[in-house]
Amino acid sequence: MSSEVAAETASPAKRTLASRIAAVPLLGVFTALVVIFVVSCMLSPHFLTPYNMTIISRTLAFVGLVTLGQSMLMILGELDLSLGAIAGLCGVVGGIMMVQMGWNPWLSFALCLALGTFCGMFNGFLVVALRLHSLVLTIGMAGVYGGANLVATKGVAITGIPDAIRVLGNSKLYGVPVPFVILVVALIVITFMAVKTPFGRYLYAIGNNPPAARMLGIRVDTIRVLVFAAAGFLSALAGMLMVARLGTAQPSIGEGWVLAPIAASVIGGVATTGGVGSPIGAILGAAIIGIIENIIVLFGVSPYWQSMVSGAIVVLAISFDSISRRYLRREG
Amino acid sequence: MAFLRVQGIRKEFPGVVALDNVDLEIERGTVHVFAGENGAGKSTLIRALTGIMPVDSGTIHIDGRDTAEDKSLFDLVAYVPQELNVFPHMSVAENLFMPFDKSGFGGAVLSGSRMTREAQEYLDRFDIHARPDQAVGSIAVSDRQLLQIARAATKKSFQILILDEPTTSLTTKEIERLFKIIRQLRDEGKAIVFVSHKMDEIFEIGTTVTVLRNGQTVGHRAMDEVTEPELIRMMSGGEIRLDQTFLPETEPGEPILTVEHLSGRGFTDASFTLRRGEILGFAGLIGAGRSELMQGVFGYKKPKHGRIVLKGEELRLGSPAASVAGGVLYLSEERKLHGILPTLSVRENIGISVLDQTAPSGVISGSRERSIVGSVIDDYDIKTSSWEKKIMFLSGGNQQKAIIGRAMARRPDVLIFDEPTRGIDVRNKVEIYKIMKSLAEEGVGIIMISSELAELKRCATRIITMHDGEISGEFDTMTTDADTLVSAIIGSGELRHVV
Repeated sequence: MSSEVAAETASPAKRTLASRIAAVPLLGVFTALVVIFVVSCMLSPHFLTPYNMTIISRTLAFVGLVTLGQSMLMILGELDLSLGAIAGLCGVVGGIMMVQMGWNPWLSFALCLALGTFCGMFNGFLVVALRLHSLVLTIGMAGVYGGANLVATKGVAITGIPDAIRVLGNSKLYGVPVPFVILVVALIVITFMAVKTPFGRYLYAIGNNPPAARMLGIRVDTIRVLVFAAAGFLSALAGMLMVARLGTAQPSIGEGWVLAPIAASVIGGVATTGGVGSPIGAILGAAIIGIIENIIVLFGVSPYWQSMVSGAIVVLAISFDSISRRYLRREG
Repeated sequence: MAFLRVQGIRKEFPGVVALDNVDLEIERGTVHVFAGENGAGKSTLIRALTGIMPVDSGTIHIDGRDTAEDKSLFDLVAYVPQELNVFPHMSVAENLFMPFDKSGFGGAVLSGSRMTREAQEYLDRFDIHARPDQAVGSIAVSDRQLLQIARAATKKSFQILILDEPTTSLTTKEIERLFKIIRQLRDEGKAIVFVSHKMDEIFEIGTTVTVLRNGQTVGHRAMDEVTEPELIRMMSGGEIRLDQTFLPETEPGEPILTVEHLSGRGFTDASFTLRRGEILGFAGLIGAGRSELMQGVFGYKKPKHGRIVLKGEELRLGSPAASVAGGVLYLSEERKLHGILPTLSVRENIGISVLDQTAPSGVISGSRERSIVGSVIDDYDIKTSSWEKKIMFLSGGNQQKAIIGRAMARRPDVLIFDEPTRGIDVRNKVEIYKIMKSLAEEGVGIIMISSELAELKRCATRIITMHDGEISGEFDTMTTDADTLVSAIIGSGELRHVV
């Protein structure tokens, strides 16, 4: 549909300002985040306090790590609904190792990260080897990992996590909670990987068009398994940091980390169909959800209403993004 | 006044003028051909005529009335897109009458028996080999194509039928069936718009032709007053010779790829040898197993038995990654399905192939990538307003050039080219022949699958014919006449898609 002569002579300057703004990735979600942040500051005097910022950033850190993994899977065109269960399982296994078996805390920590990596990799292996749909498979695996959690703990929390580990969840580095620092480091590493390495390009290529990616000689199945493994690792890390934060290994850890990371990724511009979006966008999306949930609590909304209100605001947020994009595109 | 009259329409997209001062008149009871190279503006013009896309200026009159004043006039236009657009898991009858309110099934409850009965009438009339209750996914591609036309006909109001390259996936016999239907509709007084790259089809079915070039109308002619060379000259703006051959002028070198007794789904016991510096043609009917064999060789579909030797070493079966690492590239006839990464940019689509050159240390060098991508875009003359444009917004011809360009940037030793000129206009065909010739002369071994025998004879030094999954012959192009090739291609069966 392009006219050959015109394509050469047309200058980019003719594009309207609106269309150029619409073309900037992450601008929509970033603007939304800023607006929500500013509005929150105006609405509540308790919002922009060091104490509240600590709470928001630390909560964001846990769900953010899972979101990083989920967003990579979504870019690849897959989903893993068992990431929350993996986080919970790794958390309680860590508790058992450290408290009940008295193993070295750091060794236990590392073993649990390895366990999470293995669980994710196993999901990936089943998806690849049996050609299963990842959504359905991981619903089942969530039951398996969640069940293993209950078998191991009988639903009872394990208290008495060693101080060496608790420091990870509770201390600050230059005033910033350590879990948040870990999230930022993970985000930088993954963003670099996504933008500047062949592996990152393969991720997008596979999410765009799996048959074409195979035709190009990309090892599609290997990459799928690796990304599932990475998501498992990040979820285990989130679970262990949560254990460190609480000082107890709660069997319920990870229960809220299934749908929020998917919603965050979509708000941040990751397409559910794969091949589009970025981990940074997903984290910005997670931050939007985090701030909304925080401000609802600050307002003293009844706990019975909280879930409904925050759900409705998430729907509003994605509708706003979708509508504004369509409007800007039409202008261009 | 003509039934459909277009005056001075103009359409601009960001960075591109797609249509510029286009005029057109289409009469009832005629088949009006749109001819033009890829990117000439045919698809954009069609979208304007169907009312899907508003134009920036100019007028479209249908039946003497201005469509700008009455949008419902576009209901008179039925459009059958190039890509199959059916619901595979729904029945033939449901596909036929969807959306139901426009085809007389407006009630709240659908009458299954009435739908079946009326569907049967359309199936008979359009000679579609299917039952009304059959799932569309289970019927032949050609029947699906006819079903789309029948679907247009169920809209009681249609007077103009637009067919965008309807014959791309049809065999010669199926094309005849389609043409019979087109003539029937023409004689009923419908106005038909027919878009195709195939000259023989244009001359067979067309009444009048409008030639587009660079978004402008170059001319209108009655089909019986124009010759093929004249038409090609109007489309390309210059002379293109049809008798030129592109056989590599260097002697073939040592064998580079040897396939021994390879069997798999769709092909049996295939053995052949490819030498450096030759173009080896594969001829056969659609469904003869050529693509299946080559996808087996490349590893995209895993062969069951057999052996492949590449540059003296045995190649792992069923691994495209191993083939690519060994210097074998496969360019599929399914550009959209197997080629482009739609939502990635032109730069990323080309860059994905050359990462071993741009990221030797594991980190992609932006400047190195820009320099390789830039030279591919220049060398292969890829028209795009920006490198960062998503490749799905490029015209089909430019997508094809990008895919070829990125393959060449990898410097392959063996190139398997499946229907390299499918859906490509005459000028770009010649460009592709030239590229293949010069690659062969540099020592690349090229396998070319084509359903156009004339094209194989212009390019390939040797031609292997396949019939029903087996290799039925091997011929030297210079010393073999077309009849011998045709009989090897059709085996004992009927003649179908041989040009």
